[in-house]
Amino acid sequence: MRMFLYDARLYFWLISMQIRAQWQYKFNLFLDIVTYFGVTALEIISLLLFFIPFPTLLGWKVGEVALLGSIMSISFGLAELVGAGIDNFGDMVRRGEFDRMLLRPIGAFTQVIGSDFRLRRLGRITQGGAGIVVALWFLPNLHWTLTKVLVLSIGILSGTVIFVAILLLGATICFWTIETTELTNMLTYGAREMLSYPLTIYNLVLQRIFLFVFPVAFGTFVPACYILGRPLPFNMPGEVAFLAPVIALIFALIASQIWRLGMRRYQSTGS
Amino acid sequence: MFRFYCEVARTAFRRQAIYRWANLAGLATNIFFSAIFSYIIIGLFHVRPSVAGFTLVDTLRYTWLVQALLMIIIPFGWTDLMLTIRTGEVVTDLSKPCNFYWYWFSREVGRNGYYILFRALPIYLAGMLFFKLGAPAIGPNWLGFGLSVLLGTMLGIAYRFLYNIVAFWIVEARSMITLAQTSALFFTGSYIPIPFLPPWARSIVEWLPFNGLMNLPSQILLGKISGGTFWLEVARQVGWVMVLTCGCLLLTRMATRRVVSQGG
Amino acid sequence: MAIIIEAQDVKKSFRVAKRRPGLLGGLRSIINPEVRTVHAVNDLNIEIQRGELVALVGPNGAGKSTTIKMLTGILVPSGGYVRVAGLKPVEQRRELAAHIGVVFGQRTQLWWDLPLKDSLHLLRHLYRVPEERYTANLKHLSEMLELDEFIETPVRQLSLGQRMRGDLAAALLHDPELLYLDEPTIGLDVVAKARIREFLLSVNAKRGTTILLTTHDMDDVELLCPRMLIIDHGRKLYDGSVTAIRERFGGERILIAVLETALQNQSALQEELPAGVSLLSSQGPRLELSFGQRSLPAHELVAWLGARYPLHDVTFQEPEIEDVIRRIYEEGLLLKEGAGVKKH
Repeated sequence: MRMFLYDARLYFWLISMQIRAQWQYKFNLFLDIVTYFGVTALEIISLLLFFIPFPTLLGWKVGEVALLGSIMSISFGLAELVGAGIDNFGDMVRRGEFDRMLLRPIGAFTQVIGSDFRLRRLGRITQGGAGIVVALWFLPNLHWTLTKVLVLSIGILSGTVIFVAILLLGATICFWTIETTELTNMLTYGAREMLSYPLTIYNLVLQRIFLFVFPVAFGTFVPACYILGRPLPFNMPGEVAFLAPVIALIFALIASQIWRLGMRRYQSTGS
Repeated sequence: MFRFYCEVARTAFRRQAIYRWANLAGLATNIFFSAIFSYIIIGLFHVRPSVAGFTLVDTLRYTWLVQALLMIIIPFGWTDLMLTIRTGEVVTDLSKPCNFYWYWFSREVGRNGYYILFRALPIYLAGMLFFKLGAPAIGPNWLGFGLSVLLGTMLGIAYRFLYNIVAFWIVEARSMITLAQTSALFFTGSYIPIPFLPPWARSIVEWLPFNGLMNLPSQILLGKISGGTFWLEVARQVGWVMVLTCGCLLLTRMATRRVVSQGG
Repeated sequence: MAIIIEAQDVKKSFRVAKRRPGLLGGLRSIINPEVRTVHAVNDLNIEIQRGELVALVGPNGAGKSTTIKMLTGILVPSGGYVRVAGLKPVEQRRELAAHIGVVFGQRTQLWWDLPLKDSLHLLRHLYRVPEERYTANLKHLSEMLELDEFIETPVRQLSLGQRMRGDLAAALLHDPELLYLDEPTIGLDVVAKARIREFLLSVNAKRGTTILLTTHDMDDVELLCPRMLIIDHGRKLYDGSVTAIRERFGGERILIAVLETALQNQSALQEELPAGVSLLSSQGPRLELSFGQRSLPAHELVAWLGARYPLHDVTFQEPEIEDVIRRIYEEGLLLKEGAGVKKH
């Protein structure tokens, strides 16, 4: 426990260095955030435009899809913000920076995740926030309760944890080969894109994958269904939305075990 | 001189072929995203059989065509020219005994050749396989498509040259480039098929240079544009190609003068 | 003296997948890779005493960095026994890390956009250095390396020499017993190099820090390290002093003589030369003779030459250590462990 607290404190030291470093280029940072906001806003705008010719997407109305997409934007944006260091892991190995981390008396994971904190991702998070406002404007009759707000918050945080864990799995692959980094991008960005829409539009195999293998749906789709009072696939009760943190933690634990395995391999091959 | 440009294109083709794994991963990504878009479109079409003359199959074909053309016309993340400006390598390119713009144009033609064979075709074939698209068209539509896609490619090369060459004047051009690419993608149907836009928006978009990038060639191939409209659209496309190319040549001259006056 | 690094019969072999040509071949290589074993390090024995200054020399790909990685616990050896500072490097990697400091000449560990001070401050936490020790060490290092003039400057604005000084301070903040330096003087100018070397010597003398450095700069070896290890193809070629190896393999010295008048008859001189002496070149009055130290003492050669020609000037050229190493490679003069060389 004391170890954990020390690592947590170190993590904050590390990211505060990152934030101060990025703050040196205030203007560029601001420009990046605005650009990123604009780029991601175009995605939401296109989504809204689809609903001019089409009234619903398999029964989902425009506001509902916008809410789903916005939840995804926030949790994915948070994951990109926090997990940027993990995302860079391939480069870190290639440049020998990871070896340097192994030469310090601190856990490698803390150093990897502390090596970056990409402030420009605030653009996507802001867009997600704005998206929720738009969604609520389209959904004037949605009844909010305290539990719904709770489900929304734990959903977003669980989604973030799950995405960071997926990034970690992608990074772990670097221990075996660094040629497939682009394929892991497909998993993260692909999952984000897919889960920005109702899960039920995909075939059952994909639905199962995103519920039970890479449980991204628990961070977005499941809480959105709970809030909107929609049924879940596979006859799951809506209350599974409360399980999101548990599922996220289990998934993160599995990912961290695989990461350990990768570390051991790295130490025996050095590749 | 023409032989020199051909050689440049050939080298660019071969250089692209070196990055085999990156190309394969890129191909997989393009196919994956096209599949996601297809699912969304299938879901939307549940409630209506057609929109603006587009049936489900038309829309799927349109989507896969646009995704297939993507790397040829708007290669995402293309900052090659900007990087040479940043590293200063550009000075040697500027002093080559050829026109700077046509030099880059030839390079991109070579790369596009690679992308036609190893991106566009496999992507569309994958769409045919997974979503039973069938061939996008028969007979004469291919002729019009050939002409329009050629113009679209020229437009695309000029456009990417333009948003890269600003790096001569703007130090941190990266976010501007992202914005330039995304808005082009949006206005040429990569995010939402242009025919799905409300009429007033469509009438604006049709006058923008982006229309000729991917939307127009795709619609022509699907037979949605024919007869007099076809010639009008192609004329608009030619107009934009000329405007953008002139812009490239002008900026090249300004950039050259800037480099020369700074003493390289 | 106590042993700080001990490696016995250390081996490391990698299994390397060979890529087949072509795209299909590439796919086949994923499914059914053609594996080949590469022996990066073979039966290496190293013993370093506390307080030593040792250079690890060898061409690129010789196994230097693999060796260092095994000594620091980043890499698990395929076989053999390793102890560093009494610890098992792999099992006790993080514990060991507190005992070693590392500087890579090519890559800084400092935070690029922030002042040097901030990096040092963060490293204090990364190495868990107690406040008082940190303050004392920083004060001491600042004086020795004259950090004060640039400690508030962002690292990206530092000159290479300043950056290296900063990196050295960063590596020594936690009082490591063992300092590992990879190309510490690469890219520096003469003045900066001299300064770094002076600092390393004083750290070694005052703090008793053991220093192991890899370098391609033979001046580093000659000026810093009484002992040198030459490694190639994962084997130890040589372990001993720089002077000893020069005597053994660099026996050939060069005498440059300038005569009062230009040499008239070159072939006559060549025929007359004593055994073990050869004429490298002659240009007007200038002669270059190479001779083995054992075959003829230098003063005798001068006397011999002086008896035949009036001499204007005589100078000797010492063999460069690079030449010596090149000769070892070229002639395949593989040294048996310690053969003919006195060990420590």
